[in-house]
Amino acid sequence: MRLFGSGGHLRHQRLQTVLTIAAIATAVALPVVLLGVGGGVSSHELSNLQNAGYQIVISAAGLHGIANAHRLTGQLLALPEVAAASPVLSIAVDAFPPGKGAVPSLAEGVIPDQFAPTLGPTEDGLFPQPLPLGDPTDLVHYDNGTYAGPATYDVLVSSPFAQAYHLAVGSTLGLAPVPNATEAVPYSVTGVFGVPLGTLGQTGAFALLLPLSDLQVMTGYARGAGTPVVDAADSVEVAAAGAVSTEPGALAALQRQIQAMVPYYTVSTLSQQAAQLQTAASVLTGFYLALSSVGLTVGLVFLALVLLRRVESDRRSIGIRRALGLPPRAVVGPVVAEGLAIAAIGAVAGIVGGIALVDGLAAWGSGAVQEAADLAIFVPATMAELAGAVVVLALVAGGLAARSALRLDLLEALR
Amino acid sequence: MSGDGRPPRIELRGVERIYDRGAADEVRALRGIDLTVGPGETVSIEGPSGCGKTSLLNLIGLLDTPTRGEVRWDDRPVGERTDRERARLRLERVGFIFQRFYLLPTLTARENVELPMRALGLGRGERRDRATALLTEVGLRGRERAFPHQLSGGEEQRVAVARALGNRPGLLLADEPTGELDLANTEAILTLLEKVRADRGASLLVVTHNPSVARRARRHLAIQDGRIVGDVREA
Ligand SMILES: Nc1ncnc2c1ncn2[C@@H]1O[C@H](COP(=O)(O)OP(=O)(O)OP(=O)(O)O)[C@@H](O)[C@H]1O
Ligand SMILES: [Mg+2]
Repeated sequence: MRLFGSGGHLRHQRLQTVLTIAAIATAVALPVVLLGVGGGVSSHELSNLQNAGYQIVISAAGLHGIANAHRLTGQLLALPEVAAASPVLSIAVDAFPPGKGAVPSLAEGVIPDQFAPTLGPTEDGLFPQPLPLGDPTDLVHYDNGTYAGPATYDVLVSSPFAQAYHLAVGSTLGLAPVPNATEAVPYSVTGVFGVPLGTLGQTGAFALLLPLSDLQVMTGYARGAGTPVVDAADSVEVAAAGAVSTEPGALAALQRQIQAMVPYYTVSTLSQQAAQLQTAASVLTGFYLALSSVGLTVGLVFLALVLLRRVESDRRSIGIRRALGLPPRAVVGPVVAEGLAIAAIGAVAGIVGGIALVDGLAAWGSGAVQEAADLAIFVPATMAELAGAVVVLALVAGGLAARSALRLDLLEALR
Repeated sequence: MSGDGRPPRIELRGVERIYDRGAADEVRALRGIDLTVGPGETVSIEGPSGCGKTSLLNLIGLLDTPTRGEVRWDDRPVGERTDRERARLRLERVGFIFQRFYLLPTLTARENVELPMRALGLGRGERRDRATALLTEVGLRGRERAFPHQLSGGEEQRVAVARALGNRPGLLLADEPTGELDLANTEAILTLLEKVRADRGASLLVVTHNPSVARRARRHLAIQDGRIVGDVREA
């Protein structure tokens, strides 16, 4: 059977056919993009969790973060099962590269000798060792909460940041909590670190790493002169010592022990977080599928309508086939084959188009869109299932059309 | 497997065919038809336009069922058969040359001719051989790849004749099979029909206004207003 050729079946209603293929392709592209990107991002997050150098996280539910971060760190380190306890404070600040205006950046305040051991294998080699941020314990400047000790004024910049603003070790970089150059404090760049692909957004790529206390004081100024600085962190990452880190029972015991120390904070293990993430991801996948099935249904209802219309316009041909005594298969075969061809072309176009769209976004998109697109994973089995579902539904649509073709009154159809 | 081309014994008893029955403009196309056609008979059917000739062929050829009365094939009422069985009989035993040709517009001349043979399950080579032979006999050698819209009325009619013969039918129903043809082609088609008929001992019912066509039959029916008004057998 010719579909598009001279006198072929699809030719006399080419526009309708093309539109139907487009509708199905769109309906298929939607889940391809959603599942590809969604699945890619969550599996990336999962692998981040699984590759982290720590096993337990202390976090605070509210906006205020974890108070007395330095003291808590000391208490945690006193436990024999704890190898490292790294408080992390993330705050958006403004950087002032020499001769440039304010550059929004993400600053992370850390305790240098605690931060390094919590790095996972994927971050291996991205940071200079040991971290060149002056005082490794950050206790000199902090000085028991008085912040009376000398600040280091050391900062590490991410490689994209260094590249964009021609910064190198020894350069000076002004930092301020607000986009106001007069408030900027001069820091000296003591190192450059790499950024693992796709972990951070556009602002994140312009990341800074500095001692926790320096960041606390700098951003504390924003609350007005004379206000006491709060020793806050967003979270504390805890790396367990030796066998405890790999033994679930021991890890759970450590988790309980820490929870007892900080009853007001959330203490969770990464495996719990991973499980949560997987639950969230599967909920999201279900949602994507539900959303996509709406799109698919619309596309296939469209297909069914087109096939029924075609039965209507091919009435005479169907009547002739029946008059000749052809078996039902030979009468409705062309109708069903046509539906299948349209659906298959649409499905392939949708899958190829969806993947191409995501590839395009990964290559030319910007910001978070590009990062997410970069992580997309297209599981061949999922794509095959999607195409299979379209073909099955097209068979149903074609079957409906075929049934109506066979029910026409024969003489009526021949007129 | 070339189908079952046995000529059927056909009987119509008290047959009426009313179209659009119950409507204000219902048409009584056939009334009180009693007719028996034995295997191998050749019958011409004549009558004015609209008298019911095509309606009669449709009933005999199992395309339609009577409003009243009974049509029997080989002593079995066709009303007892399912649609599927009737379709099978049409495919295997009937060659219908339709008044309006009924070629499929999306198929070439050759594909149109091969279509019933394909449904019969004939092999590719056999189909090609038969189609080539038939198209040659109707004078369409070289036009096998043309689509119906590329053919003249007479050429379309000849494709329709070739298609009706591909299954080697036991019953040939020809509804004005030479209406569009010139003298030479008419003779050629009639010779072909006669040859196919004689080869297989098939029955032939031919509707025609052409005396030279009617002359070839051994029995002559005249129809008027849905009734058989004349039935003459030659000795
Ligand atoms: N499907 C139909 N629905 C309604 N009326 C019909 C139908 N088919 C035929 N008729 C009517 O039945 C009558 C007989 O038609 P039929 O086609 O059998 O005539 P015919 O003898 O073959 O005529 P012609 O020589 O013009 O082909 C006509 O009045 C026609 O209008
Ligand atoms: Mg007629």
